[in-house]
Amino acid sequence: MSAVMEAAPTATQTQSHNPWPAVFALARFEARRLLTTIPVLLGFLVYAAWIVWRAQDYADGYPALQDADRATQGGPLLVGLAVLLAVNQAVLRSLRRDTERHFTVLVMSTAHRTAAHLLSVVPAALLTAVCVAGQFGWQALKPGALGHGSPGELLVGPLTVLAFGAAGVLIARVIRTPFTAPLVVVFFLFLFLLSTGAGIDEGWTRWLTPVIGVASSNTLPSDLIGRPAAWHALYLAALGLTVALLAVLVGGGLRARSVQAGFVGALALTVLGAVAQGQGVSSEVTAARERATLHPEQVQTCVERDGSRYCAFPEWRGRTADWARAVAEVQSLAGGTAHDQSLLVRQRLDARYGLDGDAALDPATTPHQVTVGTAWGGNRVPEFSAAVAGVLVTGDEKTAGELCDGRMVTVMWLALAGRSDPIGSLKNVRLDDSVSGSAIVLSQTNPLTMTAGQTTVVRKLLEQPRDGVAAKVRTNWTELTSPKVTTARVAELLGVTAKVGADKCD
Amino acid sequence: MRLTGALLVPVLRTLPWRALGAAGAVGLLIVSMARLTDEADEMLALNLLRAAALAFALGLAFVLDDPARHTTAAVPTRRPARHALRVALVAPVTAAWWTAALLLVPDGIRPPVGDVTLEAGAAFTLALAAASAAIRLTQAAEPGQAVAGAVLTTAVLGLLLWPGRWELFVGTQDPKWAAAHDRWGMVLVGAVVVWGVCGPEPLRRRVFLKPTRA
Repeated sequence: MSAVMEAAPTATQTQSHNPWPAVFALARFEARRLLTTIPVLLGFLVYAAWIVWRAQDYADGYPALQDADRATQGGPLLVGLAVLLAVNQAVLRSLRRDTERHFTVLVMSTAHRTAAHLLSVVPAALLTAVCVAGQFGWQALKPGALGHGSPGELLVGPLTVLAFGAAGVLIARVIRTPFTAPLVVVFFLFLFLLSTGAGIDEGWTRWLTPVIGVASSNTLPSDLIGRPAAWHALYLAALGLTVALLAVLVGGGLRARSVQAGFVGALALTVLGAVAQGQGVSSEVTAARERATLHPEQVQTCVERDGSRYCAFPEWRGRTADWARAVAEVQSLAGGTAHDQSLLVRQRLDARYGLDGDAALDPATTPHQVTVGTAWGGNRVPEFSAAVAGVLVTGDEKTAGELCDGRMVTVMWLALAGRSDPIGSLKNVRLDDSVSGSAIVLSQTNPLTMTAGQTTVVRKLLEQPRDGVAAKVRTNWTELTSPKVTTARVAELLGVTAKVGADKCD
Repeated sequence: MRLTGALLVPVLRTLPWRALGAAGAVGLLIVSMARLTDEADEMLALNLLRAAALAFALGLAFVLDDPARHTTAAVPTRRPARHALRVALVAPVTAAWWTAALLLVPDGIRPPVGDVTLEAGAAFTLALAAASAAIRLTQAAEPGQAVAGAVLTTAVLGLLLWPGRWELFVGTQDPKWAAAHDRWGMVLVGAVVVWGVCGPEPLRRRVFLKPTRA
């Protein structure tokens, strides 16, 4: 009889000292709870509603993506504050429910639990990233979109949420009281929301806050913006990492060499980012801004359309067709030589102050040159039409800006008669949105002024059928466009009976 | 009355002084910006006072926390009396703190004291009403943290979403200032009513929200 020899079972490792699967499991659980707490849910709901509301008529349907990327940054602040509050309460939960003692028997140390809480913020940040991508993508897919978004600007939203979440964990690990986080949120709210209008601080310190607004609503070509977006994203990411690793250090991981090394590295990166982003505008950008402002012809490309030349900055090349349509609309109504006059439509801007200030453009003095800005859609279209009409009637922009006689009627009628809603457009181009009395007419360069009499005549003309008025305009073109023609005479020529006062401009 | 006298010292000791102190300190820190910056105007001062009032209201959200809630439910002194005693003890501190906050704003840019005090009073009462509602509707003994979160969320959402027809947060130069303060009065009255309704201990234990153990 022989004993059956069985092979010895291979040794299996039954106990693993690797706590990371447990950390990830806890992080998943905490992430689910975090996303379903009331402040975070409300924060995301309001954020989503804000995105939809903002996207409706953002930039009148003609967004420049170098502005649309910055427009994604405000909303995540709200989500970030909600996450700060919720993650802080989550870390303090074991203290509040007196279950801290039970956790000490688990394989996870306090440091690992801190790490799990930090990881639980990541899904909220990813969700914010999805929202940011949606908001930006919505604008980018519009047919009128142009320009280039900057990844650095787009990253600010999700990174803000991460940094706020890390701050929530750190606060819970340092001050173990439930009332700290709400007070910190009040303080942040006050700092970021209430003080944004209280004057923008110059210098490098303003870049230390997560979201940095701009003072100007101008749109600039993306290479002239001069914002250290990439450095700022690095700074924010490193700041979040520093705070997170500090939370791990404070929350029981003081001995871990890797955490210490990581903390020092992250701190160094933060300082690097803070220094690099505070360098101010580089001399190349300043030179490029001056060149674009003073000698735009050196950087622009021109295209020929219907006999006129359209010169635009490279990013706006696709918009010349829209400009040509507006010019054709005005020229089709004009008479005399103006009907086939070849124009030079040049895009101009004042980029010397970057996005920190607005500057008015001087009108062009070159004959038959029209200025067009960087924005389009909405009120910008009738404003451009008015500039085109002014140049067709008077010869150049400077003269059109100083117009103070009956020619103003012809200019405004030419500008607005071709539009689908002439009276509405008249209301829009006037500063006070009125259709009676005297008013300032907005323009890309110097504004025009309409007297009360001119307004009445223009309104009555716009109410008449267009073709009838157009025929009278063409017949009397020479007299209508001669200098010193009075408004009363213009009204008589065009067959409008109205009480017209003397032409005087203030 | 004797009982109230006997309760005085223990309640004084169990009040959340640390939360109130921290909230008051943050509030005064916020208001002191009015003195620190050169370009402070009336609007900024008003917003600073509102932020400070919100901070202190968050502290007040913890005032009704009572870890011994479940054991004191059966004592002869009723819950409204105990809560009133707590609030009566906190009231002078609140008044002193608010006076200090108002005095921190320089004379020239201080918004109308009565109206701003009404706003602050409404915020404070709202926080206390929310705390008493949390106690009435849940079994939590220390709902302060959740109440503070709720008050803060309400404040932020109210600032962002409150309909313009019933404007509450207006500037001092705004013609709607007087009407807005009538509304603040209504908020105050509403908060007092909620507090009054939620004050008494229910005769039968009815739990509307999921019970959470402290």
